[in-house]
Amino acid sequence: MAGKKSEQSLKLAAVLDLNAASVLHGKLQSLRGSDITVDASAVERCGTQCVQVLVAGAKAWEADKKTFTIGPMSGAFEQTMQLIGVNFEQILSKEIAQ
Amino acid sequence: MKKKVLTVDDSRTIRNMLLVTLNNAGFETIQAEDGVEGLEVLEECNPDVIVTDINMPRLDGFGFIEGVRRNEKYRAIPILVLTTESDAEKKNRARQAGATGWIVKPFDPTKLVDAIERVTA
Amino acid sequence: MDMNEIREIFFQECEEQLAELETGLLKLNDGDRDPETVNAVFRAVHSIKGGAGAFALDDLVAFAHVFETTLDCVRSGKLEPSQDVLKVMLKSADVLADLTNAARDGGTVDESRSRALVKELEALANGEQPAAHAAPEPVAAKPAVAAAPAPTDSSGFQPIPFSFDDFGGEEEEVLMVAPTYTVTFKPRAELFSKGNEAALLLRDLSRIGEMSIHCHTGDVPTLDRMDPEGSYLSWTISIKTEKGEEGIRSVFEFAEWDCELDIKLAEEAEADDERPMIPVPFDLSLLEDEPAIGDEPHVGMHVEPVVAAAVAAAETATGVMQAAAAASARAEKKEAPAASAAAQANAANAANAAGQTIRVDLDRVDRLINLVGELVINQAMLSQSVIENDNNGTSSINMGLEELQQLTREIQDSVMAIRAQPVKPVFQRMARTVREIADITGKSVRLITEGENTEVDKTVIDKLAEPLTHMIRNAVDHGLEMPEKRIAAGKNPEGTVRLTAKHRSGRIVIELTDDGAGINREKVRQKAIDNDLITADANLSDEEIDNLIFHAGFSTADKVSDLSGRGVGMDVVKRSIQALGGRISIQSKPGQGSTFSMSLPLTLAVLDGMVVTVAGQTLVVPLTAIVETLQPEAAAIHSFGATQRLISIRNSFCPLVDVGRILNFRAQQANPVEGVALLVESEGGGQRALMVDAIQGQRQVVIKSLEANYMHVPGIAAATILGDGRVALILDVDAVVGASRGQSLRQEMSLAS
Repeated sequence: MAGKKSEQSLKLAAVLDLNAASVLHGKLQSLRGSDITVDASAVERCGTQCVQVLVAGAKAWEADKKTFTIGPMSGAFEQTMQLIGVNFEQILSKEIAQ
Repeated sequence: MKKKVLTVDDSRTIRNMLLVTLNNAGFETIQAEDGVEGLEVLEECNPDVIVTDINMPRLDGFGFIEGVRRNEKYRAIPILVLTTESDAEKKNRARQAGATGWIVKPFDPTKLVDAIERVTA
Repeated sequence: MDMNEIREIFFQECEEQLAELETGLLKLNDGDRDPETVNAVFRAVHSIKGGAGAFALDDLVAFAHVFETTLDCVRSGKLEPSQDVLKVMLKSADVLADLTNAARDGGTVDESRSRALVKELEALANGEQPAAHAAPEPVAAKPAVAAAPAPTDSSGFQPIPFSFDDFGGEEEEVLMVAPTYTVTFKPRAELFSKGNEAALLLRDLSRIGEMSIHCHTGDVPTLDRMDPEGSYLSWTISIKTEKGEEGIRSVFEFAEWDCELDIKLAEEAEADDERPMIPVPFDLSLLEDEPAIGDEPHVGMHVEPVVAAAVAAAETATGVMQAAAAASARAEKKEAPAASAAAQANAANAANAAGQTIRVDLDRVDRLINLVGELVINQAMLSQSVIENDNNGTSSINMGLEELQQLTREIQDSVMAIRAQPVKPVFQRMARTVREIADITGKSVRLITEGENTEVDKTVIDKLAEPLTHMIRNAVDHGLEMPEKRIAAGKNPEGTVRLTAKHRSGRIVIELTDDGAGINREKVRQKAIDNDLITADANLSDEEIDNLIFHAGFSTADKVSDLSGRGVGMDVVKRSIQALGGRISIQSKPGQGSTFSMSLPLTLAVLDGMVVTVAGQTLVVPLTAIVETLQPEAAAIHSFGATQRLISIRNSFCPLVDVGRILNFRAQQANPVEGVALLVESEGGGQRALMVDAIQGQRQVVIKSLEANYMHVPGIAAATILGDGRVALILDVDAVVGASRGQSLRQEMSLAS
């Protein structure tokens, strides 16, 4: 169903540092209401605060009953998630469980 | 990619030591002699990490750190302060000014590189 | 650049910092309370300490530390920099200089002096606090460490290997016995705003042991209510490490103020928590690398909210395996490129670091100067022979030669400029001399220096220190009065000695002025009579009397004090200045003080001279000595006494000096009308007319020492080689003028030796 108006995509910047958190936050806010795919394939460095924004985003989409998909992911992004123990599937599933 | 380190120190001796140590460890090193020059150079080189002394003419380390943290573009850069063991007070002030960490002088090359590795991705 | 070079730089910098220190302290002493002055002083000591620490110069570090502590009190306003305080500080600056020198050149310092100062400094800094607390170690009971740091010291500068291999090896052995800790970590927003990063801290934590992690995401607010730069995540970590709690804390060293951190030894059989702990691979390259080539982005986890839960666990497991495998592969690849990258970095940065100055061995500069000297001579010889063999003066060869001459001269000037240095270091040393002699004599003295940045050839600077030291001693010892006497005379009890340097017409002029009693002419005159320097009825001008103090063995002090007892008189000072091609003169006003002025050439290698003929010999007269040249007319010449003659120039009389006669080039007096008179200014400021037979021209000559190649010849300063290859002697104008005053050249020579 590509091209469908309600399906949005967000490509993450290479460096997701402190400065990027607000930008990412703003973008996510503006994309509320439709299914979203977050493209993390270009991420070279991912800071905790951007992860927080993504977590909040996942929760928001969850609450909106829309799909929040992360993928594809760069190695660096995946490794960071691994390292800091953030697992979006779990977050999403937990929200549902509650 | 090589990590870029900006060092700010008014002592030629220390600047040379930093240069040798950092180059040997495979960093790209940019050097400034005081806080004012540090802030100028910052704009040009966009370093991955900054190592700064505290006691410097024109603009000291505290002022320099505050300057970096106030800068919209560069405020997220980790800053390591060169300090002496006895300077607990200075360490505190540096932290309040926004320093990320510190290296106790006389620095040992391993410790220096270690500290840089710790605060950079 | 190696450690030895940096060490050299360190000592150079020490010298600069010591100069800064002294300048600043003197400013403070003058009542300057600019915080930047205090800061500069503090920084100077701090900087010396910092560098000394790196070279393990413990004595220097220890003293600098105490000094710094006291200066910090001044800086923070806890200690008022009164004159008494500054006295201690200035002395400390001297000791710091001694310690620096001892560290560089070996030798020892006066321990009792430094130990006493450490006590004084500590007392100033601590007041009632116990003194032992401030200094880690009072200055060295052992002799100052002089030797260069052992070669092993530089081992610290070997490339830092990127490999963590040995690290990993240890780890494996350790795993069996290592205890497990439970760490809870909750960063505050400040942690991030100061440039720290939770992910990096967790990465470092993962490096010290086998770790599993759970991230608490429950505190993350809804998207619209969150502060993107806030801090909402927290972690519970289980880590098995041999590094202990200490090791874990050290990971959070930079962050512990900006987070909540709790570390507990985990229970042996920990009840399996509900939260799933995700194992973190012992992965060091994690986060360090950009995505490696060929590391394709993993296929995304497309999660349908309702069905995903069941699949999640399995998928996570594979994810972990993949990440771990990819990461370890990358860790292996990493080493080789890192090494070559380091090499490249070295090359690139060496170029960057070259900066604005280079250090060159003095010998090389001197060799260059010598060669340029030869070039100048060669060029002159070439010009000469072209002129002699070519009667067409406008030929292109001549034009070319003129350009060559111009170029040669420019090269020479540029080469000379390499050796030019400011007189500052010498002046700075004088400040110390003043302090020491003031202490010994019990006089209160302030030294004011001006023009410290005036540059002059390094050789001149090196040779300036000794005569200057003696003159300063003389000025304080003999020139300045005791405080009581000064008060009685309505003067400031503190005497002033002013040392200035400036450039004047191609020479450097150094003046030393004191505001003491001035020369006691009656006493000087009497002494000169007693010593048979003058006859009792000699009619001498004030100026001439003043100049008597430059005669050998002359001492005006009634008793020989500790200082002048070192056996150097002003005659020796004068000799040393003359040996440098300089002149010295004195002006004195009774009750107001004296001024010694020295005029020295900027370089000792070349000289602008007038080439003249005297009794068939070619002589060079330094141009700087010549005021004007004139053709004497018979009517202007007046005889005076048996042999003396005067020439009248614009209504004043000036003694004629027969150069040929004085140098014994001829037995008879020359006829002034047949020659040329060179009006010269002699050291006392008086003018004399030097009689020569003819003027050949002016040229720059390269000075060749006679002493070094032959021996000292009275009345002759040095020699040179002219364009035609002939050797010409350079006239010592002052010696010749002095000889005309009645002292024979030989006599003066014997007095000096």
